[in-house]
Amino acid sequence: MSSEAQAVTNTVADVPLSRRFGWIWWVALLASGALVLLLGYTLISVAILGVGVWGVNIPFVWGFDLINYAWWIGIANGASLFAAILVLRRHDLRTAVNRFAEGVAFFAVICAGIFPIVHLGRPWLFYWVFPYPATFQVWPQFRSTLTWDFWAISTHAIVTSLLWYVGLIPDLATLRDRARTRAGKRLYGVFALGWRGSVRDWAYHQRAYRLVAILVLPLILIMQSTVAFEFAVTLVPDWHETRQPLHFVATGLAQGLSIVLLVAVLLRWGLRLGRYIDDEDVDLLGRLVLASALVSGYLYLDEIASALLAEPVPQEATFNRITGDYAGLYWTSIVYSILIPQLLWLKAARRSTVAGIFVGISIGVGVWFDRFSIIVGGLQTDYLPSVWRTYAPTLPETGLFLGTLGLFAALLLLFVRFLPVVSMFETRHDEHEEASS
Amino acid sequence: MREKPPLDIDAVPVPMTTEKGPTLWRSLEELADRPEVRRQIEAEFPDVVQASSIDRRTLLRLMSASFALGGLAACNGNGSDGKAPLLSQSRTLPGSTPGVPLTVATSLALNGFGRGVLVKTQEGRPVKIEGNPLHPASLGATDVFAQAEILSLYDPDRSDTPLRSGSPMSWEELTNSIRPVRNELVVSEGRGLHVLMPPTSSPTLHRLMAQARQLFPFATFHVFSPVDDGNRRDAALASFGRDLDFVYDPTRADVIVTLGGDLFAEEPGHLRYAADYQARRRMRDRAMPRLYAVETRMSLAGARADERVPLRPRDMEAFAQALAVALGTGAAPTTEVHPSVPKLADALRRAGSRGLVVPGREQPARIHGLAHAVNAGLGAFGTTVRAIEPVRSADDGTGTLADLVSAIEAGAVSRLVILGGNPVYAAPADIDLASLIRRVPLSLHLGQHRDETAEVCHWHVPEAHPLESWGDLRAFDGTVGLRQPATMPLKPGLSVEELLGLMAGQNLDGQALVQATWRQAWGDGFEERWAGALEDGVIAGSASPTVALTERFDMTAETAAPSTSGGIDVVFVPDPSVWDGTYANNGWLQELPKPLTKQVWGNAALIAPEMAAVFGLSSGDAVDVTVEGRAVRAPVWIMPGHAPGAVTLPLGYGRRRAGRIGDGIGFDAYAVRPSGRPWIATGEIGKAGERIPVVSTQRHHSLQGRDIVRVVAPDQAPAPAADQPSLYPEWPYEGHAWGMAIDLDACIGCNACVIACQAENNIAVVGPDEVAKGREMHWLRVDRYHAGDPADPETYFQPVPCMHCEKAPCEVVCPVNATVHSSEGLNDMVYNRCIGTRTCSNNCPYKVRRFNFLDYQGTDYVASPEAMNPQVTVRDRGVMEKCTYCVHRIGAARADARVEDRPLRDGEVATACQQACPTTAIVFGDVNDPASAVSRLKQSPRHYALLGDLNTKPRTTYLARIALSSENG
Repeated sequence: MSSEAQAVTNTVADVPLSRRFGWIWWVALLASGALVLLLGYTLISVAILGVGVWGVNIPFVWGFDLINYAWWIGIANGASLFAAILVLRRHDLRTAVNRFAEGVAFFAVICAGIFPIVHLGRPWLFYWVFPYPATFQVWPQFRSTLTWDFWAISTHAIVTSLLWYVGLIPDLATLRDRARTRAGKRLYGVFALGWRGSVRDWAYHQRAYRLVAILVLPLILIMQSTVAFEFAVTLVPDWHETRQPLHFVATGLAQGLSIVLLVAVLLRWGLRLGRYIDDEDVDLLGRLVLASALVSGYLYLDEIASALLAEPVPQEATFNRITGDYAGLYWTSIVYSILIPQLLWLKAARRSTVAGIFVGISIGVGVWFDRFSIIVGGLQTDYLPSVWRTYAPTLPETGLFLGTLGLFAALLLLFVRFLPVVSMFETRHDEHEEASS
Repeated sequence: MREKPPLDIDAVPVPMTTEKGPTLWRSLEELADRPEVRRQIEAEFPDVVQASSIDRRTLLRLMSASFALGGLAACNGNGSDGKAPLLSQSRTLPGSTPGVPLTVATSLALNGFGRGVLVKTQEGRPVKIEGNPLHPASLGATDVFAQAEILSLYDPDRSDTPLRSGSPMSWEELTNSIRPVRNELVVSEGRGLHVLMPPTSSPTLHRLMAQARQLFPFATFHVFSPVDDGNRRDAALASFGRDLDFVYDPTRADVIVTLGGDLFAEEPGHLRYAADYQARRRMRDRAMPRLYAVETRMSLAGARADERVPLRPRDMEAFAQALAVALGTGAAPTTEVHPSVPKLADALRRAGSRGLVVPGREQPARIHGLAHAVNAGLGAFGTTVRAIEPVRSADDGTGTLADLVSAIEAGAVSRLVILGGNPVYAAPADIDLASLIRRVPLSLHLGQHRDETAEVCHWHVPEAHPLESWGDLRAFDGTVGLRQPATMPLKPGLSVEELLGLMAGQNLDGQALVQATWRQAWGDGFEERWAGALEDGVIAGSASPTVALTERFDMTAETAAPSTSGGIDVVFVPDPSVWDGTYANNGWLQELPKPLTKQVWGNAALIAPEMAAVFGLSSGDAVDVTVEGRAVRAPVWIMPGHAPGAVTLPLGYGRRRAGRIGDGIGFDAYAVRPSGRPWIATGEIGKAGERIPVVSTQRHHSLQGRDIVRVVAPDQAPAPAADQPSLYPEWPYEGHAWGMAIDLDACIGCNACVIACQAENNIAVVGPDEVAKGREMHWLRVDRYHAGDPADPETYFQPVPCMHCEKAPCEVVCPVNATVHSSEGLNDMVYNRCIGTRTCSNNCPYKVRRFNFLDYQGTDYVASPEAMNPQVTVRDRGVMEKCTYCVHRIGAARADARVEDRPLRDGEVATACQQACPTTAIVFGDVNDPASAVSRLKQSPRHYALLGDLNTKPRTTYLARIALSSENG
């Protein structure tokens, strides 16, 4: 190992292995830990009292539960799609951002996975959607989008965690070798699966990594589409559109990319990894975010165009979403997820930490409002005016959402503390290539 | 004599102190040691018993033998010959089978008039009330109040202990206290005794009142009801020289003009009139009748009317006068004629004796008089209207509340007995009845609740619920229906009959009191007629005969000139949900969306859209309504079709002591009701600058130009829906295929179906907060839409139960198959399988599914478990529920048919909503049977499916409403 490569490994590996981590990390962890407690509280209250503690009603049987579910899935999908493409294309950028893109995806899946269970009227019976050999021989309804969703999210969780884990194996071995305590050695050792760094190991690893990455590609489309089907397959006028899966995939990708950008910029700044996540990397990420925002914008236009061609009831429903009680959601979404990202046309903005944070958050917020607008605003003008009502979230619902944000942040913080956030082996590999050329 | 349990509390045997207590054994050893067991062991195992020393093996044999035989001994009680069944049989009434409901025919009063009902009892407890088809005021239908009486019966707030100055006393103390007072009164011949009671139609009460008068010749009876018919009485006296009741016959009417009031909701015979009017509409051999409603606020009759004339009350008299003049009676009009008068007059003139003018209760006597004059001029008396002796006739010498007030003020009242009602709450605002009653040396209140009146009386006696006691009631046409208990008394109490009987020196036996009345009337053959009357619920042939009228119209009589001075007219109306406040503690009624406003849990001042614009008000803004110097703060509700320049205040809310449900709900309109003008007063409204939330179940009132409620001309048919292809194969329904047809032309929006469904299916009451969030649980809702000009709109009602779609969108989206199709085409909900994803509701275009967002069956609003229908599952939290087409009734009818080995007959299965409907708007049956009533309706040219273009193939379908063209025809 050259001295330069040694330095890389040191910088990156030192982070999880050092005993001290600075007060900012502690403060951040405490803050997110408090939100995790809030999450626990809201989960317990909804389990004991029922989903009536939320603002849901008839006809708005779904509120924040599905909004946040769809939103987290969007983050997970966008991030893992991004990671998989990098792995497959052996793109330079992968060394810098792959690891935490995978991490972001995995943690987002965890956050998303909370909602489908907790939103049930009787959550303790969630396993009934699973086709297990029940004595009363009732099977799930395979025509139901919720059954599809069950399969999609469980597959998604498995594949995303595999992608993240397979990528981690060589670095876990490094951490094992460098661990300063015996317990650390043991722990990292178990998860390193006896990695010895032989050529055979490397060959198998590359094959497995790329295989999982290939699996991610169709899965992402399937997952986002399945979420979209939950709406598109129903008879609700504004939801019942074939363009819905495309809308979810595209906006979800923009959202996932923006969160990767946000986390990359934050890590670069917070952990001083500027050398490994360099300006070029961030610049490229910014271009991708901009491109995906443009695709989203195109789909927004498409929505209006298809509404113009639609029959009166769906047309009225879509226009009500744009101009009615919930129009604010729609326009907020446009501003945040489409207009603000246009900043990234500027090279300076693409390379600026502040702009990266701003745009990253902005798209996340925008897509969240988009989901809100679809799920709530789209349901408002249904077929029978007599049942038209409004929905507003309650504190327990908001608390649940904040709680998942806290959980996500806490997982990320623990991740940067205990695992290498930038792939050490890939960085070394890159630098070897540079040195040999 | 029936014994009151609490009166005999000392005589109740206490099991533990009796000599021969129950033969319980406390341990196996004790059991094995009993003499009969020992005898059996001796006979069976002599060697064991005789053995002096016991080894281990013997001990075990002995023990096992003891236990085995001891067990047998436990089965055969002392002295049993072994033939008695092992398990005791449940106590049953003769002729009843456990599990099979028994039906009791009885009568319930609304404002003193009887409506015949059949009470379904399950193992001795009433669970459901249906109309009595033999009773003329019901014809098998019910109104919301009759349906809700079940919940009132089980009301946990019902009074069950006599009170003395607010603290409980025993029944013995009560009788001991009353006896000397009564003796004293007998001696003084009732000097200073005043009795206040609501008007009653009961012959037994009238008999007892007469008896009491003989005993207490100086006593005075006063009659008071907040829903008072004084205007009608005054008009009858002025027009015909005597008090009369008027019975209408809409089946014979070609043209009906209502002047205020509500023919279909507030008249004593409202159920019958609604049924008759619809029967008249269905007569194919005659042209459609026309209904014109001239009114201030929109009534059910006005909503159904072919033409409505919104008119502020102060213009009503001129209108009626002009109508009379146009028809050739009365003096020349003094004011300019309303543009609708000639049209109505023309229609009435052409109808001749088949015309009918119906004045509303709240209209001044002069309008009633003008209506009589017009009816007489048309020759309607004898055709569409007849006069009968007043059904609630009180003997001469009966005073009013005002008489009582002056008597108390004069210090002439020493003993006041209030028999039912709640006059302290319901008295007009200028009568401070509470402090007046406090001035009476001794007052007694008989009432079902410890209400506002009980609070100020010295003694309070719990009143028995009508379903627990004996009595008799006369219907709007005089027909007598007997009231018999449908249950053992759930709480100790006395009926009005019993207390009045006690005063008159009779025994405490309600049944004997009622029997005595009819024994006297019938003489011989009493037993037979009594049994028959109990069985039928009505006394055949007891309807009042028509009174021949000696006309004495006094149309020239000068009345107060219509006040054209400033201010706005304030109209008081009984509330469609809680009436005069009597039903304030009834959760079903509180949560019942009012027909026209869809408001629940409260009342609101109803104003016209035009007036709202003038005052800058929107629904929910608070206003101060001031009448004669007194003010009440109320939220407003903009009611399309309300006449401008007037505000309508529904009575019955703002109760202080109604109970846990009804306390502090809404505003108290009695607080501004003047005794001089109890129905229509003049006042002011002023914006209060705050908002009082008004909870309504329907937020949007227009059809949005959508094809939801179809309206056709009499011979026209809506465009037929094209058959659309489906991805799913057709399912062959062999055997039955259940379906429903709802005739929108018949629906008057009275809500009877909604509350019948609630009672039948154990539907939870969720309370105002939950309804405000949009979580009411009614399986059947009545959508109300307005179309056209908000000042004078068309109003449509559309009952929406589950459509039981053949291609049900809810079924395919449930991940766990919790909602599935039955072989007879029902869309079944499997509560146990539901995990609560709520996807089914998302995919239901009709939004008829209801979700248990919280544990609604565990709240304070929920009925006592005894009021639950045992045939219907009570749903848990987290579970979706919806209309089942009363699947338990289908099952019961099918079981009956199988037992009798015959096919199910058409009409044998009636859903709860169908059964309650006064106009037979809802018809249920087998659509596979081409001869069934529902199949025939579905062949009607007016037939259409709601949202039929979604191709859900609903089994519940509608018949379009018929709109007559506005020209005379």
